[in-house]
Amino acid sequence: MEVQKEAQRIMTMSVWKLYHSRMQHGGLRLHRSLQLSLVMRSARELYLSAKLEEEEEEAAAAGEIFPGQLETGAQTPQPHLETGAQASERVPQPLPLPLERISVAPEPMETQEVGGSLPTRLPLSEPAWSPVPPHGGASKPSRKRRSSTLGKSGAAEAGLVPSKKAKLADEEESERQPQRQEGPFPTLAKVLQDRFSGLILQPPTVNASGEAKPGCRQGDGVLSIMVRAVVAF
Amino acid sequence: MAGAGGGGNDIQWCFSQVKGAVDDDVAEADIISTVEFNHSGELLATGDKGGRVVIFQQEQENKTKSHSRGEYNVYSTFQSHEPEFDYLKSLEIEEKINKIRWLPQKNAAQFLLSTNDKTIKLWKISERDKRPEGYNLKEEDGRYRDPTTVTTLRVPVFRPMDLMVEASPRRIFANAHTYHINSISINSDYETYLSADDLRINLWHLEITDRSFNIVDIKPANMEELTEVITATEFHPNSCSTFVYSSSKGTIRLCDMRASALCDRHSKLFEEPEDPSNRSFFSEIISSISDVKFSHSGRYMMTRDYLSVKIWDLNMENRPVETYQVHEYLRSKLCSLYENDCIFDKFECCWNGSDSVVMTGSYNNFFRMFDRNTKRDITLEASRENNKPRTVLKPRKVCASGKRKKDEISVDSLDFNKKILHTAWHPKENIIAVATTNNLYIFQDKVN
Repeated sequence: MEVQKEAQRIMTMSVWKLYHSRMQHGGLRLHRSLQLSLVMRSARELYLSAKLEEEEEEAAAAGEIFPGQLETGAQTPQPHLETGAQASERVPQPLPLPLERISVAPEPMETQEVGGSLPTRLPLSEPAWSPVPPHGGASKPSRKRRSSTLGKSGAAEAGLVPSKKAKLADEEESERQPQRQEGPFPTLAKVLQDRFSGLILQPPTVNASGEAKPGCRQGDGVLSIMVRAVVAF
Repeated sequence: MAGAGGGGNDIQWCFSQVKGAVDDDVAEADIISTVEFNHSGELLATGDKGGRVVIFQQEQENKTKSHSRGEYNVYSTFQSHEPEFDYLKSLEIEEKINKIRWLPQKNAAQFLLSTNDKTIKLWKISERDKRPEGYNLKEEDGRYRDPTTVTTLRVPVFRPMDLMVEASPRRIFANAHTYHINSISINSDYETYLSADDLRINLWHLEITDRSFNIVDIKPANMEELTEVITATEFHPNSCSTFVYSSSKGTIRLCDMRASALCDRHSKLFEEPEDPSNRSFFSEIISSISDVKFSHSGRYMMTRDYLSVKIWDLNMENRPVETYQVHEYLRSKLCSLYENDCIFDKFECCWNGSDSVVMTGSYNNFFRMFDRNTKRDITLEASRENNKPRTVLKPRKVCASGKRKKDEISVDSLDFNKKILHTAWHPKENIIAVATTNNLYIFQDKVN
């Protein structure tokens, strides 16, 4: 639990630092952004593995242990679909905002950089977020970035390309969100602001069993911020 | 050259001078961002965040003052870079001087390269101590004479005047870097030089400003796959076709320009396997190399990462031959250092003239020297408290844990706002320049 809290604290700190680094004199620094995203990823991996251990312990305690599927770093489809099903019930409540605006998920592919165990964790989010039918492990052919394959419309919905359609949505959002700041990287700024305000407007709902789970959802979204921050360069 | 200091036959370091404002309130523009001696050591250049370069010159040695070497006094000050704005990207371009490199002296004038994030400039610093007098058509004050009053001709002669030092930009090397320039290095052929940003290294000719060759490009086709950036680069001191570049992953690549036009494939890869017991969230950040320097001999190179200094033999790629811990007591504090951003500090390192001692900075205005022969190290402090000339500096010690002895300072008392990132060692003598936030300290060895 401590480990999870620490990891979550570090993740939050990293997002904050990345968000604010764009405002510093001289603009975003690629090296700094990369370092922040690396820390984010390490913290997220630890957070998720600690969370998974905790879930397994709870499952074991409740007598529902899955033989041979203890956490080793290599994930198998089954536990994910299980927890994915549980997760999908919870997801709409804590984070309706990002879901409304972003129909294209922070896809598994976005976090495919290096960590081998990453892709297999992301199906947790798939049932709720992605139009793609959930599948077990991530396989190479499906790693393509959704927004790039969908082309303009997908990219627009992901907030990377200005679109005429977005204007109406903007008007709604501007009431909810803090004032948009223009700056050196307007699209990056938009992505950061959208995601970040999603996080701060929807603090993790504390409930008996699921305190950490919305945080996990946020972690997914947050990591994609890191990736997009680097991509925006 | 004698050792680092600390007893026996080792040298003792004495305060010599301090330059800069006494104010505790530091103006951002005055923050020193680079320090470099020229090849003879007579000149010492500093660059600051405000884009200015200040050059100090050593006084000629005075026979009457034989107990100390010449002092460094201001020789020239000029504005090297101005703040700019990239209108296409809506991006401010900082005027901060990232690096200064001197060219060897070929004639009466001095030349140096200075760079900010985007533009490199070649500056000529020349002295004027004579002026022509006795023109035929002009009066001494510049007014033109009536030609009809000119009855004889005379040859104008040079007469002495007060020394004036002029700095003029001779070349401007711009628009070649998309990312932020982190280093420049002049080749031993004295005709070409390298400039490196986060993803690319360019080769320039000093005479040609409108083009450069890109010789290293590590930008991935898909930026999402980016895992490392270039952090420093340096030409080999003797071999004009060899250079190295360091990365944020803690690796150093040596490249030979004779092998191919694009040096994406290294000739040697220097990398030490990570110690698994030291793994943490921040392992990747602290393994990032912030500086790489060849020894004067060219046989070794030194790298600085967040916690240590490593010496590599160019003939051995799989591990460094020597590793010195600069401030190992910070390993348990990495999380706090991440919070206050200190973990991103980029420390530099330098060799002494004989390659027997290496030096680097730390926090609390401490700097460290490691003697490679005696394996002794010493920690000294740059502080105005010791500012009487020829005061011998007392070695400092940080107490990592447990009982703190007298005169030791505990880790928690360290001031992380007082950091020494830039240091330089005179190429021939035991004179060092150490930059705190906005002050430049000059220390010398004790001369009896």
